[in-house]
Amino acid sequence: MGASQTRSERKHQDLADRTGFSPEQIKNLHKRFQHLSGNEETISRENLDSIPALANNPIRKQIIEAFFDKRNQRQDEVGSCEEIGFEQFLMVMSHFRPPTLKTTDEEKEALRKEKLRFLFNMHDTDNDGTITLDEYRKVVEELLSKSGAIGQEAAKAIADAAMLEVASTNVPHMAPDDFYEGITFEHFEQILKGLEMESRMHIRFLDVDTTTMRCGKSTS
Amino acid sequence: MEDLWSVAAGVFQVWMFVVVFLIMLPAMFGLSLGVTGVYIQILVKILEWATIRIQRGRQEQPSVPVPLPNGIIERAGGSMEEEMVRLRRSRSLAGGEFALSDAFYFYKKGLESIVDDQVTQRFSSEELASWNLLTRTNQNFRYISLRLTIFWGLGVFVRYGVLFPLRITLAIIGLSWLVIGTTFVGFLPESSVKNWLSELVHLTCYRICARGLSATIHYHNRENKPKKGGICVANHTTPIDVVILANDGCYAMVGQVHGGLLGVIQRSMVRSCPHVWFERSEMRDRHAVTSRLRAHVAARTKLPILIFPEGTCINNTSVMMFKKGSFEIGGTIYPVAIKYDPRFGDAFWNSGKFNMVSYLLRMMTSWAIVVNVWYLPPMTIQDGEDAAQFANRVKSANADQGGLLDLAWDGGLKRGKVKDSFKEEQQKMYSSIIVGQNGLRSQRACAESTEEQPCYKHTET
Repeated sequence: MGASQTRSERKHQDLADRTGFSPEQIKNLHKRFQHLSGNEETISRENLDSIPALANNPIRKQIIEAFFDKRNQRQDEVGSCEEIGFEQFLMVMSHFRPPTLKTTDEEKEALRKEKLRFLFNMHDTDNDGTITLDEYRKVVEELLSKSGAIGQEAAKAIADAAMLEVASTNVPHMAPDDFYEGITFEHFEQILKGLEMESRMHIRFLDVDTTTMRCGKSTS
Repeated sequence: MEDLWSVAAGVFQVWMFVVVFLIMLPAMFGLSLGVTGVYIQILVKILEWATIRIQRGRQEQPSVPVPLPNGIIERAGGSMEEEMVRLRRSRSLAGGEFALSDAFYFYKKGLESIVDDQVTQRFSSEELASWNLLTRTNQNFRYISLRLTIFWGLGVFVRYGVLFPLRITLAIIGLSWLVIGTTFVGFLPESSVKNWLSELVHLTCYRICARGLSATIHYHNRENKPKKGGICVANHTTPIDVVILANDGCYAMVGQVHGGLLGVIQRSMVRSCPHVWFERSEMRDRHAVTSRLRAHVAARTKLPILIFPEGTCINNTSVMMFKKGSFEIGGTIYPVAIKYDPRFGDAFWNSGKFNMVSYLLRMMTSWAIVVNVWYLPPMTIQDGEDAAQFANRVKSANADQGGLLDLAWDGGLKRGKVKDSFKEEQQKMYSSIIVGQNGLRSQRACAESTEEQPCYKHTET
């Protein structure tokens, strides 16, 4: 109590300014972080792997990897870490912070680009700036079942067809011998241009206490 | 010096008088002097006042945090199919095709799971919506007012100074009575008198132990009480569940043979009536366990077996998967739902955090234990139902009656990991969504693309 609480409050406030979460949300996320890490300072891939609900998810490896990817730390570094601390955890989460009432249109556009960049990084595993056919096919295969409704051949065919579609959309007059490098970030943005992301790709934090809301002040 | 001894002796005599005549004897006969009832009522009034005071304090000091008992994020409730349809409609895609945006559904679900999930929160104590004046639940609450702090201080004094010694005495008396009583009854030859005496000994001992925890138990629907030759299943929160249930009837316990004090109690209990204790090596052999239980049930004169099918302690906000082993034995199942009132004390045993002794000490220094026990109507396995489906049916009935959340997850996840087969389920679901009835179309597209020259080169076939 006492002194240590104000110190962590100041740290939370500092993190709040940098990531865009409110101090309240940061506190909740901190509790969650400690729960996941078993009260340690850092979490590793094993800690995230042990979440039961995540085990359901076919692309959980990519999602977990995204937390350890240095590209998502907004510091222009590349590579990946073995363990991350709470600050890095928050940095990754901040890509999905909810927009407040005060977000302007440009900020919304910037947020959207950020989210797209995050998702692009998730697929571009070798960090060469493009999503190649192999990386794309890997995504499709992870999502489809290896047994059951779709066989190996059909899965491959779906991946190829999708890649073909992407290629023809972006480079309409390709000659038969041209080598299609892969999807660059600009292509990626173009493919997903019409997709409405605001309501899909952010985490909506619950705000139970309405008595502390005051007029003119948003508490998201 | 002698005065001190005589004073001490006098105090001790008064103490034993109070304990024996005012608590133990009425407990043995199932009567109550009503003291606990009055105590609970006073406690409720104090806690209500405390809650209002804290709420007022929150309005005045906005920095006081609010606990979120249901998780910290809001989740969209749609199923995978609904979400996919919505995603694909906005992109005007047909079936049999894959779009990059399909993956969004999985990203979002994955991130939500990392931020908050339904399972890991079940293995730690429930967060209360308002402080109940116990230090141990004071994670979120700060100094609000002087009066509140005074009440808290008084509470500490009452709980540790007055109630705790009383409870320890009662617990010791209760347990020694159990051991001595059952050993004596064990000397008698098999007869209905022996059974009746054994029931009496067990009941009185458990009643004393319940008083030793200041437990107020409300039994509902007692006409559905488990009968001989049946199996009683209940949700598991704490080892005290046994005391709670055994206050109202005699059960045959099932469990592992322990050493130490618990072993002594087990050995003496089994002399007077047939409990089922397994050696550690036997527990691993599922067939041996099942056949022994089956033999017990088949002899319809034996006491109903008490089993906790979750296999581990859950924090009493939800019911997790009932393991199907208990439901394969046959016989009639009598489900029982147990719900603890968290205002008066946290009954959940977090076995990773506390060992048995510190857990019992915590229990004895809480305000009280207030429990609701519902006896549900008996259920039997129906035709065309397998053990797992039957287990789920019983679990739903249990969760419904107790007001608990019905989860399909396995309580064993407290210590282990999820199997890979769950991931397969999600993959299958997604595959069938995008292929659906358009399997033909994707195959035709495949044929077309191999006929014309591909516009890109593969780096590998």
